[in-house]
Amino acid sequence: MRTLARRFVFRIAAAAAFCFAAQPAFADQAAEDYVQTILDEAEPVLSTDDHQSMLDGVEDLVDKYVDMRRIGRFVLGQYARRMTEAQEEQYYPLFNRYAKMIYRNTLSDYAGEQIKVTGSVDRSERDIIVNSKLANPEPGSAYANTVIHWRVYRSRDGEMSVVDAGADNVWLAIEQRSQFGSIIANNGGGEKGVDALIAEIKSRVDG
Amino acid sequence: MRFFAYIAASCLVFSGTAAAQLSGAGDDPEDIARELETANTATDSGVADPWEGFNRKMFALNDGLDRNLMVPAAKAYRTVTHKKQRKGIRNFLSNLRTPVTLVNDILQGEFGRAGETMGRFVINSTIGFGGMGDPAERLGIEQHSEDFGQTLAVWGVDSGPYLVLPFFGPSTLRDGFGSAVDLTTDPAFWIRTDPAMYYRFSRAGMNVVSAREPLIEPLADIKMDSLDYYSSLRSFYLQSRKREILNGRTNFEDLPDIGEFEEFDDLE
Repeated sequence: MRTLARRFVFRIAAAAAFCFAAQPAFADQAAEDYVQTILDEAEPVLSTDDHQSMLDGVEDLVDKYVDMRRIGRFVLGQYARRMTEAQEEQYYPLFNRYAKMIYRNTLSDYAGEQIKVTGSVDRSERDIIVNSKLANPEPGSAYANTVIHWRVYRSRDGEMSVVDAGADNVWLAIEQRSQFGSIIANNGGGEKGVDALIAEIKSRVDG
Repeated sequence: MRFFAYIAASCLVFSGTAAAQLSGAGDDPEDIARELETANTATDSGVADPWEGFNRKMFALNDGLDRNLMVPAAKAYRTVTHKKQRKGIRNFLSNLRTPVTLVNDILQGEFGRAGETMGRFVINSTIGFGGMGDPAERLGIEQHSEDFGQTLAVWGVDSGPYLVLPFFGPSTLRDGFGSAVDLTTDPAFWIRTDPAMYYRFSRAGMNVVSAREPLIEPLADIKMDSLDYYSSLRSFYLQSRKREILNGRTNFEDLPDIGEFEEFDDLE
């Protein structure tokens, strides 16, 4: 009995060791290059003096590289599955506009800064965290040591998109999910709550 | 006025934790329903918020104080000081936090970091003009800070529910208790003389103003952008707190999946 148990434990340990060996947190060069391309493309956009063309430029970048539908779904958490079709039709376009508004504000903080990719960690083959930093921070800048993260999702056919962004381990989509979940729950949850959330986003993007 | 607020604040940090425990989810069916809802909602970093009702009230109180007291004070502070002076004051205040960080470094068994804390204190207090400068950083000893909440986390104590303390803002049950313990780790706490009292309160006041000043714009932005300021700050607090506990090491394993569930596959 004891040897059996010991053999069992050994087998589990061997299996665990194999899993660790098989899936180390590798860097992903393709994802790093992908993010660097976006950053290089974003730099002139963010440093334009004309505010309106900056905003337009950011919108184009988001359309091109950010998988807004995936994020929109993620931030709904458990409620994503319970939405009616009518609600989905309203929600996704509104979320798209709202999220763009946020990204514009967040990104304009980095206006005129050059951002360089410093490395990456893959959570899985299809879920990669790419890290970056300011290339030439002003001496004493509050952002000098900040690590800016990009979460890259690779679809089954190998196409990449950005699904979250963060700084120093604080992530935007996770924060949004917390807000959305809270609004839905505090307005009765379920379908009613989702309606309240849609109304809230609507008043924000139209206002 | 400001002085009064800090007296009240330092008393309340003790009662805050206890009061929160009492006024959590009561027998009120609405509370219970809310508790069930929040238990269902995904909260940040696995920290639940069953005391949301109480927390939101405290949050509203703090936000009022912030708008009417802290922000004007921080703006005034910004007007009368130069950027370099503010940096010096920040350094000075963080140097004064040495005992708390040191004790917690040791309690966490991080003796290397305890040595750094000691080294920084000696270097900055002497050739750093009493802590105003930070020559230690230029020598490669970077600043870090510890508190008893982090120590408890390292010892394996769960965060407990999210908790908004009056005056002190976002916390958790564990970290709120930790802050109370940290107050007593400060040597000045045990000196019962008028000058020591005066020192502690003015330092607390300076801490608040100096910490709030660089956050004037970021927090205003967050408030403007968010649909629910309360849960927005809750998420920011819990996410960044987790990183502090890990001493700045990043852990991407704990992140929720975005797009690896089957339910997402119909999007492709």
